[in-house]
Amino acid sequence: MSEAIEPVVGRAVDAVGVLETLGEEVADEWTYVTDLARVQRRRLAEIADRRGGTSLASDRVSAIDLAIAEVGRIVDPHRAIDWLSTFPDLVALALDEPLGGA
Amino acid sequence: MRFQDAAPDARAVVYAGIQADPSIARIAGLLADANASQLLLARAILNGESSDPATWRAMVPTCFPDERSEAILAASLEIAAHADQARNQYRGAIVESVTETLLVRRITARGGPRTAIRRERRILFDGVRAEIHPYDVTVELPAAGEAYDCKWSARGIDGDVLHQLDDARAHAAAEDERLRVALVVFDTRIACGVRLARRTEPYAGTGLVTIEGFARLGGART
Repeated sequence: MSEAIEPVVGRAVDAVGVLETLGEEVADEWTYVTDLARVQRRRLAEIADRRGGTSLASDRVSAIDLAIAEVGRIVDPHRAIDWLSTFPDLVALALDEPLGGA
Repeated sequence: MRFQDAAPDARAVVYAGIQADPSIARIAGLLADANASQLLLARAILNGESSDPATWRAMVPTCFPDERSEAILAASLEIAAHADQARNQYRGAIVESVTETLLVRRITARGGPRTAIRRERRILFDGVRAEIHPYDVTVELPAAGEAYDCKWSARGIDGDVLHQLDDARAHAAAEDERLRVALVVFDTRIACGVRLARRTEPYAGTGLVTIEGFARLGGART
């Protein structure tokens, strides 16, 4: 089913928080993890603000929810840090937004 | 300025076996012609947990249906099936191999010799102590040298590598040689930007290639 963009992106922002919490377990990378999580949350929120009121096709909602489910499978903090850069771009792709926020 | 083979240590010997694995050349060939979305697909699979191809097709619908995406999916899942430590080494080898493939393409298209592109080389300068770590990929052409350090993720960018690349560039300039230095990072521009934002080492003269612009290594104007 199609769904409004705000709650879908909201779930993605929550998933960034999950990755951040896990990634923070790597003490040497705490600053990088918090910096990157902040930038990624802001990026996703800006997309939701700009496209507020629009809805997403069901395949795109599923794509983002599958990426969120993948986040939930990650237990290794190092892999969580890798996903902190990758996951938001998977969301961006599903939203037909440019990679890298360009 | 002169280039020299690095003496292989125990780690290098083990790593050479991974670099020579045919699966590395196979996926590097696929990724060398991939667009940024397909590179992200590979990065996600190689960082991920799921082993079901249908999950990845549905997670990245903009890449499918497509023959190259299917091949990248299969090749990535094959490598992701390795245990964590081996997977990490394979990931590093992939970045190096894609970089080499693209540089060979650019140099030979301009009439340069394939032999100008080398792996695991040191760069020596008169009166300067040699660096411990060799460069992952070098282009060794008269008056147009290039040195690349390859990283799977932005996390790999640290003070040592930034100093090494900038020092090499500066030493070359002091000898009136031209040496282009760059980091090739199989990660996103955002992650690399965040990583570099807090670095205090010099990197203004160091190039940065991320997955959004990999094709440029091969000479494409993206």
